[in-house]
Amino acid sequence: MTEAYERALESILRVDGVRAAILVDAAMGVPVVMETDPDVDGDAAAALAAELFRRTARGAELAGTGELRTLQLAASEGHLLVAGAGDLLVVALAAPDAQLALLRVEAGRAAGALA
Amino acid sequence: MKTRAELAVLVDRLRGPLREFVRESRVRMAVLVNASGQLLAQQGFTRGYEVTNVASLAAAAHAAAAALADMTGARRWTHLHNEGRNQHMLLAPYRTGGSDLILVAIFDRSTSLGIVRLFSDRLGDRLAAIPELRAASSVRDASRFEEELEGGVRRVMGESA
Repeated sequence: MTEAYERALESILRVDGVRAAILVDAAMGVPVVMETDPDVDGDAAAALAAELFRRTARGAELAGTGELRTLQLAASEGHLLVAGAGDLLVVALAAPDAQLALLRVEAGRAAGALA
Repeated sequence: MKTRAELAVLVDRLRGPLREFVRESRVRMAVLVNASGQLLAQQGFTRGYEVTNVASLAAAAHAAAAALADMTGARRWTHLHNEGRNQHMLLAPYRTGGSDLILVAIFDRSTSLGIVRLFSDRLGDRLAAIPELRAASSVRDASRFEEELEGGVRRVMGESA
């Protein structure tokens, strides 16, 4: 099973500009599998991404927009992409100049394969 | 400054960081105890719990986990997580100049293990910055320090109750 998880991250890690790819236990907010640049705190990223996704999902539910599938956060120093995959979340951190369109596709594929 | 007076200052200094931890992590309640199971600080909805019993059991769990870590070569444990049906409990030890401090945090689904762990690490950083915890290493007679600590805690907790 761990191999399937690692495979799911491989395609994300091949995208230019990706600094971290993490599979997160959605309820616990802890990493299941992760590959990160040395300067990325994967545990913190997993916890905060899961929290953000959970709160946004709640907001989407209240707003009547249905189930939250992906969430993208753009900041001055980079991007955070989170895709729901059942009990898991696919989390990617990327540099400001990363190939975001490709990253969205790959994260969506990984989430679809795991859900 | 005498040890009891130092302890009163220490208990006062722990209050702020623990309050911040409870606010940021959204745990239901948190207590800080020493390795002997003595309660040093408490925040959150503590009324629903026998905090002195929680403190004693946390110290016992800390000792058992430390022994297990030794036996398995893991050396030092960073946290212990118990998952219940409705609530979770996280125990995290912090090494200080004197006795270890142990955080006991009880939380439900309004937060997550990852968030509680993240902010428990930050609490550790804040505790490390408390001069009274660093200064405790200058106490050479550990057993005497424990006795004085116990007496001091009773007095401080009694006064604040």
